[in-house]
Amino acid sequence: MKYFFLLSLAILIVTKSSLAQDNYIINGIVTDSLSGESLIGVTVKFSGKTQNGTSTNAYGFFSYKLIPGDYTLTVSYIGYRTLSRSVTINSDERLNITLVPDNSIEEVIVTAEKRNDNVVSAQMGVAKINLSEIRNVPVIFGERDVLKTLQLLPGIKSAGEGNSGFYVRGGSADQNLILLDEAPVYNASHLLGFFSTFNSDAIKDVSVYKGGMPAQYGGRLSSVLDVRMNDGNKKEFTAEGGIGLISSRLKLEGPIARDKSSFMISGRRTYADAFLAFAKDTSIRKNTLYFYDLNAKSNYQIDDKNTIYVSGYFGRDELGLNETFGFDWGNATATLRWNHLYSNRLFSNTSIIYSNYNYVIENFIKENNFKVSSSIRDLNLKQDFQLSLNNSHNVRFGLDLIGHTLAPGSITSNEQSSVNEDNIEKRKGNEVSAYISDEWEVNDKFNIVYGMRVSSFFLRGPGTFNEYNSEGKVTDTRSYGSGDLVKSYYRFEPRLSASYLLDEFSSLKISYTRNSQNLHLMSNSLASSPTDLYILSSNNVKPEIADQVALGFFRNFNEDKYEFSGEIYYKTMLNQIEYRSGTDLRGNKNVEADLLYGEGRAYGLELYLKKRFGKLNGWVGYTLSRTERRFTDLVGGDWFFAKQDRPHDISVVGIYKAGPRWTLSSTFVYNTGNAVTFPAGKYQINNQTYFYYSARNSDRMPDYHRLDLAATLEAKPGKKLQSSWSIGFYNVYNRKNAYTIDFQDDPNDKTKTQAVKTTLFGIIPSVTWNFKF
Amino acid sequence: MDILTTLNSTIKNFRGFLAVLIALSLSSCEEIIDPDLSKADPVVVIEGSVSDQSEVHTVKVSKTIDFDQSNSFNGVAGAKVTVYSSNSQTYPFTESSTGVYKSPRFRGVAGVNYVLEVITGGKTYKANSLMPTAVKPDSITFKKLTFFGNSKVYPAVYYTDPAKVQNQYRYIVKVNGLFTAEQVSEDRFNDGNATSDLITFDGDGIKPGDKVDVEIQCIDRNVFKYYFAISQIGGNGGPPVAPSNPDSNLDNGALGIFSANTRSAYTITLK
Repeated sequence: MKYFFLLSLAILIVTKSSLAQDNYIINGIVTDSLSGESLIGVTVKFSGKTQNGTSTNAYGFFSYKLIPGDYTLTVSYIGYRTLSRSVTINSDERLNITLVPDNSIEEVIVTAEKRNDNVVSAQMGVAKINLSEIRNVPVIFGERDVLKTLQLLPGIKSAGEGNSGFYVRGGSADQNLILLDEAPVYNASHLLGFFSTFNSDAIKDVSVYKGGMPAQYGGRLSSVLDVRMNDGNKKEFTAEGGIGLISSRLKLEGPIARDKSSFMISGRRTYADAFLAFAKDTSIRKNTLYFYDLNAKSNYQIDDKNTIYVSGYFGRDELGLNETFGFDWGNATATLRWNHLYSNRLFSNTSIIYSNYNYVIENFIKENNFKVSSSIRDLNLKQDFQLSLNNSHNVRFGLDLIGHTLAPGSITSNEQSSVNEDNIEKRKGNEVSAYISDEWEVNDKFNIVYGMRVSSFFLRGPGTFNEYNSEGKVTDTRSYGSGDLVKSYYRFEPRLSASYLLDEFSSLKISYTRNSQNLHLMSNSLASSPTDLYILSSNNVKPEIADQVALGFFRNFNEDKYEFSGEIYYKTMLNQIEYRSGTDLRGNKNVEADLLYGEGRAYGLELYLKKRFGKLNGWVGYTLSRTERRFTDLVGGDWFFAKQDRPHDISVVGIYKAGPRWTLSSTFVYNTGNAVTFPAGKYQINNQTYFYYSARNSDRMPDYHRLDLAATLEAKPGKKLQSSWSIGFYNVYNRKNAYTIDFQDDPNDKTKTQAVKTTLFGIIPSVTWNFKF
Repeated sequence: MDILTTLNSTIKNFRGFLAVLIALSLSSCEEIIDPDLSKADPVVVIEGSVSDQSEVHTVKVSKTIDFDQSNSFNGVAGAKVTVYSSNSQTYPFTESSTGVYKSPRFRGVAGVNYVLEVITGGKTYKANSLMPTAVKPDSITFKKLTFFGNSKVYPAVYYTDPAKVQNQYRYIVKVNGLFTAEQVSEDRFNDGNATSDLITFDGDGIKPGDKVDVEIQCIDRNVFKYYFAISQIGGNGGPPVAPSNPDSNLDNGALGIFSANTRSAYTITLK
């Protein structure tokens, strides 16, 4: 830690001293001209004696060093009119730039501006989702959804039919770091995964890293999903929302002090249970089942050097049965951020983050009353510095401190209840990480981002900690006082991503990433559940580690109208976790006794071709991949396919602007079935048929494919009110995709066994009315 | 109703929740398919028990068959089957029909460890099981469970769990003579309390006039884990887990289970 501060100091000194040169620093913020919303990842270029540029960070900020002279400033961003103007640089300058949104897709073609960041940038394995694409891509129930749109990109696979869970490059669902305004979201889905917790109304920017993660991210093995909320309109009050079959939503935003401060609040609620009110049986009417979401954010720009943001999310699923039983779960997050400019080249962000996920199950019947509650709570402090050392070095360094508190479960009950009160000990752990990375433009052809993240984990008391041998027997038990160190781990995580320009339109890229993970989800099931159990690394459980190498070829065609990329990757994973068959995770005080440790490997090829603008745009993605696991105690220590192994995966997305008011869109997906275990034989126990399984995950679910269609009709623009109708069809040709295949005795002929395929969703129409004023 | 049963019904309710959604979509369906299943070499299966009743105890030795064959007991003849007890008794079993081996009449004793030894095909398979102390039910009756306006009746066993000992129970329910359900439970959350276990199953529950046979067994920990693993594959205790063979207490790769258990049986009729 000491070295980290010395290093920071050294960098500060370098910054100060280099100011003496004959260069000037231009910095500023790029915002949307209508809403005042800051824009992330905008390309800012100065052409004159040099031909280079930079892009805005997560808060819309950029900083660039120039020698005195005349330049043409070009600022461009997808969905906005490119701004071009001449500037004369003869002093340090603050340049706040506003971009005008461009709604007509056709016009964008004529801009001569190169949009080849994807080729030039050293970063690989990253995908950005454009919010206007999310708006148009058809989805189940008409609920537009960031996570489901994400699953249409190569390398990112859906965890199941209609499910918002996802697998990245052979990783499992818990190996994705899902951040909402930097706060980790532990259960990113509602209602068995059919809806994600992200209300797309409230979202400004979505980036997903499948590999080559920048050093500021850490803590999960396979991906980072960085979701940023809207700041709120700084210019005027607006309201927008939608009324759908399943849910409705409303967003309000506006200035608190014009151009200085604004707020955004967005809510959503489902009303599937509204139909229960029509039930004949009064007991049904007393049932509840719904979820709701609230996103809120506010910011205050104190001056050019200081801005404060406060944001939060609160969402819950509620299930109640007739006053006898209740089950509810949800996330709450809060983020307080302070942007500060120490100098015109040193940007700082300090965040204090809170995240909580919990569930409560309650039985109200007197003689067996009980209440089970469980939670995961994080407190997190992040300090991030971004320094434009000179135009060829952008240095980023910082600290990340997290305190985890896991309460696996406590049971309370009343006097008359048959259930004993009980409590599983809480577990506390701290993660302390420091990172530094440098984005270096070596020359016109070669760009590199290299860095190092040092992460450490400290498991602390109070509590009683067992040591288990490989059979799961206790070999040692120790008690620790509050704050006592039980176990610590240190990991060095090098990160590297580099690009080499072959010519103006194409590049080769390479990346290497190491990630480690100290929070582990215990799940052997085929679906996610709100009661899924997380554990921390411990004296028995070592941190998971992944190393990934990727190579890519990137090429743009036809004046950047088409974008192509091909990436291959190879990933190894250590200290992967499974549990023994027959382990009951519910209320289990000795979960670690039943764990098995092994390794994993995943490799694949991802091809992606995107048409970026024009009347018709969209993309085709193809993934060829393999993912395997090996455990000493499973299938004789041989490699077997992980459940998310799915060799072929194709997705096609098309969005067609049919006229000034009509937008038509369509998606098609095809994938090989997941690896599953089917019976290899059967036998009789107690005159019942039992199935015999020989090799793990050696069978396949049937191939999955589906076509979705959607159409959006914008109403003729009124004076103030804008509205649109969206009509969608999920699974248009009503393909009976297998959700599960169950094996059982034939109910009509007990001498035979049969396989029963369950299909969840056939064709599903949806309609939503959206409005904005 | 004990907590685990409630948690199970939570998950079932959760699926009911899902069912409502699916009903809204009017599109979920089931169909019989013919998947391409791999075939494996036959594996030895052993099922045996010793009870606390004075009776002839049975051990069955068989081999697995292919999935598409008719359900039948593929008995293995000529095995040498013996049970040894920790109180120095030896019980030789004799083959009564192909693959079915019977003991002389004897009564198992609580607290005694029984070792089953089966020699067949040149291999020796062993398992051991400790007979627990019997817990007698206080009463057996019916209970109504209501979910989404659907009321169903299931048998419920009321008993007082002995304090400070880990107890496991197994129930086998026959309705009008037909096997209907089996269920295991444990006392993790209600140790030492007067409690009840509701035995639920797919279908319409118990109808008026049904004659219900409930067999109650007290089983040891390994036997419990075996049956619990079986039920997990079927979705008991959460979403269905990836199927695998349950951990057997038999060694040498044999499938099946050997259980030394207490046993009591009751018959009740729903009026």
